[in-house]
Amino acid sequence: MTMINFKGMLKIGVVSLAALCVSAPALAANDPLTLVSKQLLDKVTTVDGKVTHQIVDPSVTHDKVVPGSHIVVVLEYHNNLAQPISNFEYKDPLPAPLMLSDDSAGEFDVSVDGGKTFGKLSNLVVTDAKGATRAAEAGDVTTVKLVIPQIAPGASGKIEFHATVR
Amino acid sequence: MLAMRGIHHICIAGAMATGLALGHPAWATGTLAGTLIQNSAIVTFNIGAGTITQRSNTNVVKVDQVIGVAVTPLVTASVPVGASPATLTYQVTNTGNGADSFDLTGAPSVAGNAFTTTLQTVAIDSNGNGIYDAGVDTVITNGAASQVIAPDATIKVFLIVAAPASATDGQTSQVRLTATSATGSGTPGTLFAGKGVGGVDALVGLSGGTGNALETVQASVAQVALTKSATIVDPYGGGTAVSGSVVTYSIVAHTSGSGTAAGLTVTDAFPTGTTYQPGTMTLNGTGLTDAADADAGTASATGITVLLGNVAGGSADKTVTFQVKIN
Repeated sequence: MTMINFKGMLKIGVVSLAALCVSAPALAANDPLTLVSKQLLDKVTTVDGKVTHQIVDPSVTHDKVVPGSHIVVVLEYHNNLAQPISNFEYKDPLPAPLMLSDDSAGEFDVSVDGGKTFGKLSNLVVTDAKGATRAAEAGDVTTVKLVIPQIAPGASGKIEFHATVR
Repeated sequence: MLAMRGIHHICIAGAMATGLALGHPAWATGTLAGTLIQNSAIVTFNIGAGTITQRSNTNVVKVDQVIGVAVTPLVTASVPVGASPATLTYQVTNTGNGADSFDLTGAPSVAGNAFTTTLQTVAIDSNGNGIYDAGVDTVITNGAASQVIAPDATIKVFLIVAAPASATDGQTSQVRLTATSATGSGTPGTLFAGKGVGGVDALVGLSGGTGNALETVQASVAQVALTKSATIVDPYGGGTAVSGSVVTYSIVAHTSGSGTAAGLTVTDAFPTGTTYQPGTMTLNGTGLTDAADADAGTASATGITVLLGNVAGGSADKTVTFQVKIN
């Protein structure tokens, strides 16, 4: 490739991706990774006192999502390249209506300051408007983070965490 | 590779700005109906020596409406009812996550009531001061819908009830206010497709879309007992009822109960075959003129009328006397 071709690609790429960011999934064919984000519903049914969980995609099943619904946030990834990907750092800025579950909070590095700093939830504190501090809770989490050291060529995987609709 | 990095960098910057614009509203009753939960992940990784940032698709889930309502009594002590009606105040809270209006129904018939009140007025506290202001607060037809109430917002509702004449002092009666969602009610989980705010689906929540509360009124009434007696003096100094005998009638008004007998009036007709002796009317031993004037008594051709006014239960007995002569 010449330098001129490169510039041409850049220009076209910016235009198309800018549009994708606000509408359709960003699945450019030549992305090194295929990333598919889903929000699934952990549908809890109680029949004769027996509780069953069913993970459904509400966009397919039309199950209702309301305050208190349990959501499983999933990222499926696939390495499209013929070479390994290293230092894969995943961050999910939690949408404001979602509250991370306690269990998931223990499995990830989390941020309670909008992604500026990360750590284990038990080590984090939050400061209120009056300057008082308290131990951070799962409900304070604004971003979750996970690092995967290496993804082999052609490998796929899934990252998921649980949250509740506030 | 260089071009790719640039492209993705621009994409992320734009998306982050969008995320910030969402803000962090307070979710007092839960996420509002119609809210779109938009999630996407950002990954950063190395390919060889290059660092690349890539973003996933944005997955969108819409929050549907949960219908909920709670009614609480704002007055827990019994409210006296008697000569004046009682005003009962209830609070209706939209516990759902979408704006909703509620049908408001007052019901004076409740099992176990010693008497049944008459529902005079159903009103919504327009100015929010918790006190019924006639001509200011919004009077509605019983069973009609409230205005639209925002999620987590409350209104105060007044039920004004009157006691029947049959109620005796100290008896109690409950009055129920029921608020039922205009969007829908029924078994929790019942779906009202497209009936929610902005056309979202609405689901009946745990309240069943309806709530009610009871408040109690206690009859505070006065009971008046009239006791009439007669003393006869005949022209010969004896006590025989003969022509020319003078009969002194005495009427004692005894008022009991916790209430007040309003505008109490004692009237008595002269017996046939007798003639009223002018100027003999007394109230508690004080003479009253026969004319209809400033004093409490009036004697007509047929009988006497004495206005006792508002007499509180337990106050001193009132005694009216007058004399007639047997023709």
